[in-house]
Amino acid sequence: MANIDWKDIEKQTAILAKTILKGFADQAVADARDFQKKAQAHLAEWLTDLAHGDISQKNFESLVRGERDLAEMRALKQAGLSKIALDTFTAGFIEIVLHAALAALP
Amino acid sequence: MKIPALLRPTTLFLTLLLAACSTIAPYDQEAYKTATGLKVDALVVMSSATESYSSHRAEVARFRIALDKAYEYDRNRPLNEITIKLWDKLRNPDGDLLGGFLREWQEEGALRPKYVAHKKTQIAEGFDTLIQLESGKIKPAEAARQL
Repeated sequence: MANIDWKDIEKQTAILAKTILKGFADQAVADARDFQKKAQAHLAEWLTDLAHGDISQKNFESLVRGERDLAEMRALKQAGLSKIALDTFTAGFIEIVLHAALAALP
Repeated sequence: MKIPALLRPTTLFLTLLLAACSTIAPYDQEAYKTATGLKVDALVVMSSATESYSSHRAEVARFRIALDKAYEYDRNRPLNEITIKLWDKLRNPDGDLLGGFLREWQEEGALRPKYVAHKKTQIAEGFDTLIQLESGKIKPAEAARQL
């Protein structure tokens, strides 16, 4: 029977998971921070425009609701990116196992 | 005779296995190109919203058709539900992004310049979100390289 190096598979899988999944998590946090910063700046600007009469109350409300829609879009994007990270991990894992299995063939 | 890499049994097996394990559609150059083009078109159309809707009716109609075509293209890609949800958010006439903006312009006529400018920023960001997801998808060339 082929002698597959399971220890090496375990080690490589751990590295793969750390690289892909941690990279995804870091990116998601940075994305959320970026959105929060932008939303705060936008809100301040809209309030100034509302006070100056450059936009109406109705315009202001639509802008705020639009920001909520954007937040939902960002959440959907992150859900999509997490699926991509999972697919990338799965592909990498299959590759690791297959290479180890092929290497063990006599 | 040397068998090309793509036709080797292990490669074929792995390709099929990876396709079966996918949870989201792969990257699509056509979808990416269309979305980036529509972003530019949307901002151009929106810039006219400080003028009456009736004087830009034909331009908006053409843009809406292009938008519908892009939506239909993405709707027929397998495992593409999240992108469809993003389009739905952006296009919803009862929402407050592109669809809602066009409805508002149509119903109320010319809109205030500052409001149009802020909405353009918001809708550009909506398109960016959709484009970023598409560009983050696994490219077929990358998948092949993994083999």
